[in-house]
Amino acid sequence: MALKVLTVDDSKTIRMIVKKAFQPFDCQIFEAENGVEGLSAASREKPDLIVLDITMPIMNGVEMLERLKGDGFLKNIPVIMLTAESGKDNVMRIVKMGIKDYVVKPFKGEQLIERATKLVTLAPKKAGDGSEEASKKYFTVDEEFQVLVLPEKITRQVAVEVENCLEANFEQLVRSGMNKVIVDMRQVKEISVSLIKLMMLIIKSCQKVNLRNRIVGTPTLCNELKEFKETSDIPVDASLEEAKAGF
Amino acid sequence: MVNDRIKALDLEGLISQSVSEVFDTMLSMQVEAADRDSERKLEGNRIVGSVSFAGEVMGNLCIHVGKDFARLMAAAMLEMAVEDVEEEEEVIDVVGEMSNMIGGGLKSRFCDSGMPCELSIPSITDGNDFKVSAMNWEQHESILFRYQEHKALVEIFVRAGN
Repeated sequence: MALKVLTVDDSKTIRMIVKKAFQPFDCQIFEAENGVEGLSAASREKPDLIVLDITMPIMNGVEMLERLKGDGFLKNIPVIMLTAESGKDNVMRIVKMGIKDYVVKPFKGEQLIERATKLVTLAPKKAGDGSEEASKKYFTVDEEFQVLVLPEKITRQVAVEVENCLEANFEQLVRSGMNKVIVDMRQVKEISVSLIKLMMLIIKSCQKVNLRNRIVGTPTLCNELKEFKETSDIPVDASLEEAKAGF
Repeated sequence: MVNDRIKALDLEGLISQSVSEVFDTMLSMQVEAADRDSERKLEGNRIVGSVSFAGEVMGNLCIHVGKDFARLMAAAMLEMAVEDVEEEEEVIDVVGEMSNMIGGGLKSRFCDSGMPCELSIPSITDGNDFKVSAMNWEQHESILFRYQEHKALVEIFVRAGN
């Protein structure tokens, strides 16, 4: 059964960051905008973990936590506090309140997951959750090469789809004895933050399982990639043939 | 005296550190503070996120960003393409969160320096023809940050509270 995570934050942005952080895992995410909604969602869903902001209108995180701890049905749910305040007094105050851990903003999703794994077991998403379809959509096998074809526009949705099926595809590739990945970016029309992050993720994922990779792109894309610190040193081949010969 | 303790703080340094950390961690953007001699103002169509301090230190911190930069920031924080940022609400929320995080960092330093205070939830001002003035504040700092062709102005006004 999927792990239930409740994120309580008045900022939609922070709730989205929390959701995205838990996306690779078999989790069901519930959202609430303040302490009142948070308590109601907690009673209704009985989550396995609550990620709770402190400063919120209507009912802040401190009051919500006090009420949680006073409720026999909810008091044992582990809570990670999110706070923009790292001062000693603030930290002491929230630690005394019986929270399991806290994360100081600014934070990265990875930090939150690192803390969460100390409190709950996060299992990777199961097959059949859409990753198989995404896999067929983006991955093809060409002789001894696995080719990942990126579409014209790399939106957040595309990046998430590729990300979700990346690990499984690469592991399967390793098991089958292949070790060459070509990322075909010739259709990509423009560079976006999502594209750069996805490229970095693909390269890191390849390195993790010792897969060799080459990037294919148009000359325009190649020039544009050189302007970004993260991608300036990445060699870009002009065609699949050039990439295959480059291994 | 609280005023002496406020003056003893390197507000400009604290802001620079906090702004750089928040931009880097949340947006993967490396901002640079403009040098002391450059003009420290940002006018025109912009969004201003602000938070207030109340307690032994009273004050206000605000971050001004142009609309284009605000959209770019929203896209970076939400990990999406700029053209996918469709709702103004998302842009406003991100600017508000930025002021909250920068203000939170400063509030922590005030508290650690023996000046306990509370931080408000962020508020947003959005418009073209307005000016934020410093009146009756003990200390005022204004720092311009650059990211590529974009600018962000961070201002803080503080004085001793009651």
